[in-house]
Amino acid sequence: MEFDKKSLLKLGKLARISISDDKLNNLSKDLNSILEFVDQLKEIKTDQVDPTSNSLNQKLEVRDDKVDTKNSAEDILENAPEKEMDFFVVPKVIE
Amino acid sequence: MKDSYTLKSLAVLLENNKISSKELTSEYLKNIENGKELNCYNTISQEKALIDAEKSDERRKSQNLRSKYDGIPIGIKDLFCTKGVTTTASSKILSNFVPNYESTVTQNCDDAGLISLGKLNCDEFAMGSTNKTSFFGSVKNPWKSVNSDYELVPGGSSGGSAAAVSGDLCVASLGTDTGGSIRQPASFTGTVGLKPSYGRVSRWGIVAFASSLDQAGPITKTVEDAAILLDIISGHDEKDSTSSVNPKENYYENLNSDIKGMKIGIPKEFRSDKLPASTQKSWDECANLLKTNGAEIVDISLPHTMSALPAYYIIAPAEASSNLARYDGVRYGLRVKGNDLIDMYEKTRSEGFGDEVKRRILIGTYVLSSGYYDAYYIKAQKIRSLIKSDYVEAFKKVDAILTPSTPSTAFEIANEPSDPVQNYLNDIFTVPVNLAGLPGISIPYANDENNLPIGLQLITNSFEEQKLLNVAKNIEETINYSETPEKWWLK
Amino acid sequence: MIEGWNLVIGIEIHAQVNSKSKLFSSSPTDFGSKPNSQVSLIDAAMPGMLPVINKFCIEQAVKSGIGLNAKINKKSIFDRKNYFYQDLPQGYQISQYKDPIVGEGFVEIETENGQKKIGVERLHLEQDAGKSLHDQDPNFTFVDLNRSGIALMEIVSKPDMSSPEEAVEYVRKVRSILRYLGTCDGNMEQGSIRADVNVSVNKPGNELGTRCEIKNLNSFKFIHAAIVYEAKRQIKLIEQGESVNQETRLFNTQSGETRSMRSKEDAHDYRYFPDPDLLPLTLDDDWIKGLQESIPELPDKIKERFIKEYSLSSYDANIIVSDKATSEYFEDVVKNRNPKLVTTWVTGELFSILNKKNLIIEDSPITSKQLGELVDNIENGKISNRQAKEVLEEMCESGKGALEIIDEKGLSQISDENEIESLVDNVLNSNPENVKKYKNGKDKLFGFFVGEAMKLSKGKANPKIVNDLIKKKLSQ
Repeated sequence: MEFDKKSLLKLGKLARISISDDKLNNLSKDLNSILEFVDQLKEIKTDQVDPTSNSLNQKLEVRDDKVDTKNSAEDILENAPEKEMDFFVVPKVIE
Repeated sequence: MKDSYTLKSLAVLLENNKISSKELTSEYLKNIENGKELNCYNTISQEKALIDAEKSDERRKSQNLRSKYDGIPIGIKDLFCTKGVTTTASSKILSNFVPNYESTVTQNCDDAGLISLGKLNCDEFAMGSTNKTSFFGSVKNPWKSVNSDYELVPGGSSGGSAAAVSGDLCVASLGTDTGGSIRQPASFTGTVGLKPSYGRVSRWGIVAFASSLDQAGPITKTVEDAAILLDIISGHDEKDSTSSVNPKENYYENLNSDIKGMKIGIPKEFRSDKLPASTQKSWDECANLLKTNGAEIVDISLPHTMSALPAYYIIAPAEASSNLARYDGVRYGLRVKGNDLIDMYEKTRSEGFGDEVKRRILIGTYVLSSGYYDAYYIKAQKIRSLIKSDYVEAFKKVDAILTPSTPSTAFEIANEPSDPVQNYLNDIFTVPVNLAGLPGISIPYANDENNLPIGLQLITNSFEEQKLLNVAKNIEETINYSETPEKWWLK
Repeated sequence: MIEGWNLVIGIEIHAQVNSKSKLFSSSPTDFGSKPNSQVSLIDAAMPGMLPVINKFCIEQAVKSGIGLNAKINKKSIFDRKNYFYQDLPQGYQISQYKDPIVGEGFVEIETENGQKKIGVERLHLEQDAGKSLHDQDPNFTFVDLNRSGIALMEIVSKPDMSSPEEAVEYVRKVRSILRYLGTCDGNMEQGSIRADVNVSVNKPGNELGTRCEIKNLNSFKFIHAAIVYEAKRQIKLIEQGESVNQETRLFNTQSGETRSMRSKEDAHDYRYFPDPDLLPLTLDDDWIKGLQESIPELPDKIKERFIKEYSLSSYDANIIVSDKATSEYFEDVVKNRNPKLVTTWVTGELFSILNKKNLIIEDSPITSKQLGELVDNIENGKISNRQAKEVLEEMCESGKGALEIIDEKGLSQISDENEIESLVDNVLNSNPENVKKYKNGKDKLFGFFVGEAMKLSKGKANPKIVNDLIKKKLSQ
């Protein structure tokens, strides 16, 4: 598959990154080059191979059901760009 | 005197009251000030470092030391969250972010009494191998070619961490390595860079790039220092589900350079016509040296080596695209106003991320998206299995593997390849190690014809850091590499 | 439901795990706390934060799976479901996609046509999102992350239901099972159980219709109403020659209508992939076995037992076992007492008081011990049924015991025949005219004599004895 402008814009929507017109050309060139590079994997036979998503060979560690959180709303909202009455604030969302 | 500073030597000086932590810290702060041109630090913790140093001196007086290394100042990659100290990941999107928590690794350093001089520049979100993708600009390599006055890249992504150690802007530093981000800059700056086994060091509180590959580690002047710092930062952390429950060892205490009877593998797939002659020569020489010192050199094969880089450039961006979704302008970091929520997201992320980060997010989004997941993401995870089993097979035959760290020595900052894939090739020797979750170390071996450091990489099986450090120590002792860059920035 | 049409319904239930702390963080899960007051760094997705799974939640999911007669998967995977939303801090929800912790199972429900098996496709663990408030400000949405990261069990049914009643019955049954297991408190008002309902319609013999998903229904009433509305809407479309679009719809609780939220074309591309922060979850056989052994008796079993042990009707048994607390209450009362009487008093009088006061049985003002005492006094004839109702109401108001009230009010029933006989004589002697009329055929006056006698006894006389005596005397 090749990245054309349309598919690139769609991808940008999915990743929530706006792409300006003047960047489209270069970006699609770059992404196509990366895709071409990774496409060499298609040559390798992997039918009988299981995928590895994490190389650590260990059981998933668990924790006990204990409450142990010392954050106040103030702590959590400390870095918020916009807040009001202990809420994070975003532009109006219509559901 | 200065050039012989190591964690080990400073511990002795402090112990013998030859120098106080405050004097030492002031000296490094002065070096940082004088070395501003290198652009190593994003944040300099001038005041806090001096206060912490005074506290350390108090502890020393009252014989209440946290460790032998109490009072030694180090530098910290700006990817570790540090309480009350701006943590940016060298990105515009986090340029105003001040965490109210401390990463496990930096907390471990604090618990040992180490002092943070500040936050070291790196590639944005650790994505890059030149340090050029930083929002705060390139770091300059302390080294320059004898044949030109061009500024060179320090490598990346832990470029600031490596350059700072090399240029004496700190005695040791913390970096992170996802595909070579500790070893490659260490190689470019004549320093020692250690990437531990995946799971050896906690990832808690480190800004994530690719969760299944990221690992923190030390950049130091010596193998001994690498062992010392690994002792301090490593261990199981119950806050990180991917932290190994394997008990850690006393790496420094057990350091033993005797390699008699060990088998060292030389993988044929790492050989290349494109490798500079001087690098090839160092590699060959080093193998001979190990043989002389009692090891057996074994030719081995890691058949899927060439597939590692393309697999990495699927896996790492895929994970990154998801890990970086949290930078949305809602709870912290940059927010760019928009007409509605989606507009705000898109503007914030478009302005907040640099080009390389955007490329990787987009590629990562693509390889996970419906219709391409199996062809790319699953395929890459399968390749990863193949690479891992290559190493499993190899370590049935050998104790350690010796390779070059990088396909070249440091290159010019101004030299910008038009194709991003050209940059990716810098990591060709380091990436397989991350995919297999193994420990790897880059140590300086010699300088090339331009007087630029050449690094060699050693790899061992998972959680065999001790063996890795032992072999590295053997090489270090034998060659006694003592080149240092000329401090042109002081002139 | 609608003549000539089949309804096909599948349901996804989101049940909040009854845990103290969240699925991947140690912050509390209390309902109704101050905004953003129970949010950890992990829940707010601060940089560098990592999830660590809550063991208790794993246990509850497996227990629930056992209760749903389902296969427990010894290896399951946590995946990231990626999408952007203001109340989803990570930009992804940690969920389980291809390899859930629990596989196929089933529950049995009562329908008009008897028992019906409803298939369960799977149960998996996932994080809840935060809460958005859209009505606080005309220009902004406010976000509260208290709920962010709370553990949910998503239980996905097969499309096995064919009427709104069956759908409601299914959700009721699952809720009941979870409450018996103690894995979810089942509190629908607080959103502990929410349902997404998939509805399609087709003509018998035709292939399945296009389905629509109605999101986030949090009461049985709404589930029923939404399905009815949606089925009618789809049928109307088809009858008008239009087609149903596959889409996600929202139910308006005010108007009782559903409206489109997003179409299939706008459906998210969630880009699921295994969460690299979490290793695969593996369960030991022994551990699963241990949990299996700890499972309490579940409603189907209890119902069977009640019918056998107490000779309850299937109908009564169903009502009682549908709720764990009710069946426990019932069993407390019924011990050594007349099951029929106890059933009447629990499902009749007690329920009506609870309904009136809008209380659940756990908060009943009358304990099972107290109700038992009341039933005892009915059984031994000390008070009449009517008096007992009065006593129950008083018990409810004052919190006093039955006996205490009976004594205080002097309510205890007169069953002494001699005493009643003198009352009856008194009534008959003071109404000679009426006695005459009765004897001449005015049968209706019988009630009058009984009434007078009861009045005279201040309602305490045993009505049966009064009846018998009057009949006897008048026929002399």
